[in-house]
Amino acid sequence: MSRGQLFLRLLLRATWVRKDRALTALISVAVVATIATTALTIYSDLEGRLSREFRGFGANVVVTKSSGALNNDELATIGKIAGSGGEVLPVAYAIAAETGSGAKIVIGGADLEKLRKLNTAWSFTDMKQGNALIGGRAEEALGHPAGLELAYGQSRMKVQPAAVYRSGSDDDSRIYLPPADFERLTGIQPGTALVRVEGRPQEIQEAISRLSASLPEAEIKPVRQITQAQTAVVGKTRGVVLAASAVVLVLIMLCMVATFTSSVLERRKDFAVMKALGASNRAVNFLFAAEAALLALLGAAAGYIVGSGTAFWIGKVNFDAAILPDPALVFPVLLGSVLLALIASTAPLRLLQQIQPAAILRGE
Amino acid sequence: MFLRLLFESFRRQKRRKSVALLAIALGMSIATAMIAVGNDIGDRISQELRGLGANLVVTPIEDTLDVNIGGVDLKPASEGAYIPESEIAKIKGIFWGHNIQGYAPFLFDQESFSSAHGSFKAELIGAYFAQSVRYGKESFTTGVRTVNPWWSVEGAWPQDLSDWPEQAPPDVLAGSKLAQQTGLSIGDEIEIGGKKLKISGILNTGGDEDQAIVAPLHIVQQILGRPNAVRRINVSALTKPEDAFARKDPSKMSPAVRDRWYCSPYANSIAYQIHEALPNVRVEQVRQVEQNQGKILSRVSGLMLLLTLAALIAAALAVSAAMAATILERRQEVGLMKSLGASNAAVAALFLTEAGFLALAGGLAGFVAGTLLAHRIGQRIFGSAIVVHPVVLAVVIFAALLVTFLGSAGAVRKAMRFDPAVVLRGDA
Repeated sequence: MSRGQLFLRLLLRATWVRKDRALTALISVAVVATIATTALTIYSDLEGRLSREFRGFGANVVVTKSSGALNNDELATIGKIAGSGGEVLPVAYAIAAETGSGAKIVIGGADLEKLRKLNTAWSFTDMKQGNALIGGRAEEALGHPAGLELAYGQSRMKVQPAAVYRSGSDDDSRIYLPPADFERLTGIQPGTALVRVEGRPQEIQEAISRLSASLPEAEIKPVRQITQAQTAVVGKTRGVVLAASAVVLVLIMLCMVATFTSSVLERRKDFAVMKALGASNRAVNFLFAAEAALLALLGAAAGYIVGSGTAFWIGKVNFDAAILPDPALVFPVLLGSVLLALIASTAPLRLLQQIQPAAILRGE
Repeated sequence: MFLRLLFESFRRQKRRKSVALLAIALGMSIATAMIAVGNDIGDRISQELRGLGANLVVTPIEDTLDVNIGGVDLKPASEGAYIPESEIAKIKGIFWGHNIQGYAPFLFDQESFSSAHGSFKAELIGAYFAQSVRYGKESFTTGVRTVNPWWSVEGAWPQDLSDWPEQAPPDVLAGSKLAQQTGLSIGDEIEIGGKKLKISGILNTGGDEDQAIVAPLHIVQQILGRPNAVRRINVSALTKPEDAFARKDPSKMSPAVRDRWYCSPYANSIAYQIHEALPNVRVEQVRQVEQNQGKILSRVSGLMLLLTLAALIAAALAVSAAMAATILERRQEVGLMKSLGASNAAVAALFLTEAGFLALAGGLAGFVAGTLLAHRIGQRIFGSAIVVHPVVLAVVIFAALLVTFLGSAGAVRKAMRFDPAVVLRGDA
């Protein structure tokens, strides 16, 4: 039997004969690798995922042309900067009068479908046949469910509300018309665009800077309360997840090191027998290290799979979309686990090397 | 005899016992810290979401429609209705008064001003900045500084004056855009209807207020000749995310169901209670804020809950593995005891009692360490410590006992299955 074969046999037999010990070591490594993989996978994905939850707040940037209407080129530029997940809603406002009561009312011209899509938080009554969306307060004050007539200067238009919405803002006192009807009544074209830029806080900031640079004639206003709350909530949640994961990881690593160290110390008799039979310190160290590395490698691989599965499940349960495994984590998780196991198992050997094998075998 | 065995076991196997103790303490500090953080995160994030501003808006029922475009209110002051300012502190007296984080009353109108640079038209907004209010025995501070935390002022915030000051003109804020357009700067005086106001700061909100003059409410009431009048109140309340039950109509509920609805801090039930306290108002939820914050809150809380669960399972596995390892190493001891005539039950009792002591000590140490860790995490991230509820101690001790017993039981059973002679020969 060659030295290599003997070494391999020693390694496998040592693991196989003490299956329980190997199993507990394997579990402790696997637990560390699982937590590390879960925490890192979730952490790297969290900012984008949580930011997406802020889409329900509606527009986070308002672009207003100081004079005149936004032309198609400008709207295209805004659309490009808002990105594929973003929304751009050109809107115009005017003050009209309701001919029945003579009450003044703010009317808005905007694509009604896009308006609904942008403001998912608003509540809408069931859609009926009609050409306008009417705010809850406007509907209460004017009370013409069948239809009303609006006047702007000399022009007049019959309006048939398709649905009543409630927002809890000034919009409740308004009536929204499709852009074509609005323009026919008032002759005004949209000079404002409500924009929802989707992305992480810094991506929204970048989009605002790019909008300012590309549209020098327009005023770009971030809706501060939304962008600030998003930054605070996303930042703090990431902070908590990172801190909690770090704490759990460090503690569980200590636990694993303790288990590994203890199992090596329990084998001091094996160590003494090998030394008594003439094995060099290097050979013994190498054998113990190889055993630890083998267990760590297996445990870490299992941990990576279980951890990725856990992150996938957490994504699915909590964010309604799975968090996919990150292949970039395979190497760090495996390497980290093996290194940790090597440190945990070779450190106690140094201690044992200072003791005579005979003393250990006598049980002193 | 049993006690002596127990005592000697701890005295002679210090290293083994300390490894087990360390593992339990580490596992339980994970449990304590994660339970504390997971339990607290909802409230913390809820506080952060208050940065979105008011989630309820109170207006007079008799009010006419708002005629507001781009921050310019075109509704004349003579039109519309008002809420008496003397009544609004009642908002704090409702059933869920403690959940009212703050409120900010407003009175506004379009006015003409003159300054050294010329005359201009702008919205004059009266508001509480950080007004001290008393309701019953409770006194508190409320205003836009609480309700709209994103408002920033370059210079100084004005004082909430209760009357027109005699010596110097009252301090007011000028919106940043207005200041830019009209050349106003800090220290300038402006005049409205023969009354002087002094700019103490430039206000930046990113909203319509950037084009306005914002002054203490009582000063604006005097300028507009409307004492005790308020046009709108923005209320910031801690609410429970809306569900199907929250959306039900309280007038159609049975008394028992209605009580349950009333005693849940939904935005709808808080709105209902404000309406009870101030009958002539309409209370609407700011849907953009109210509908979304619940969703975000549940995402963050849910994430922490699942992470806590994963950490607890990991801690339990690690502790069980460590306990199993320490017991399996002692099979020679089991062999010796059995060959001397000890029954399986006696051996198991000894091992499990040892495990029980370790669990108690490790659980206690872990609770203390975990509390400190949660404290640190709270300080570091939210600027205030996370307080661990004493009930967590009971949970942690119970968990420690459960996990150590589970970890030990399997190993003890396994160790007892071996033939003592084989174990003692070292063949097992």
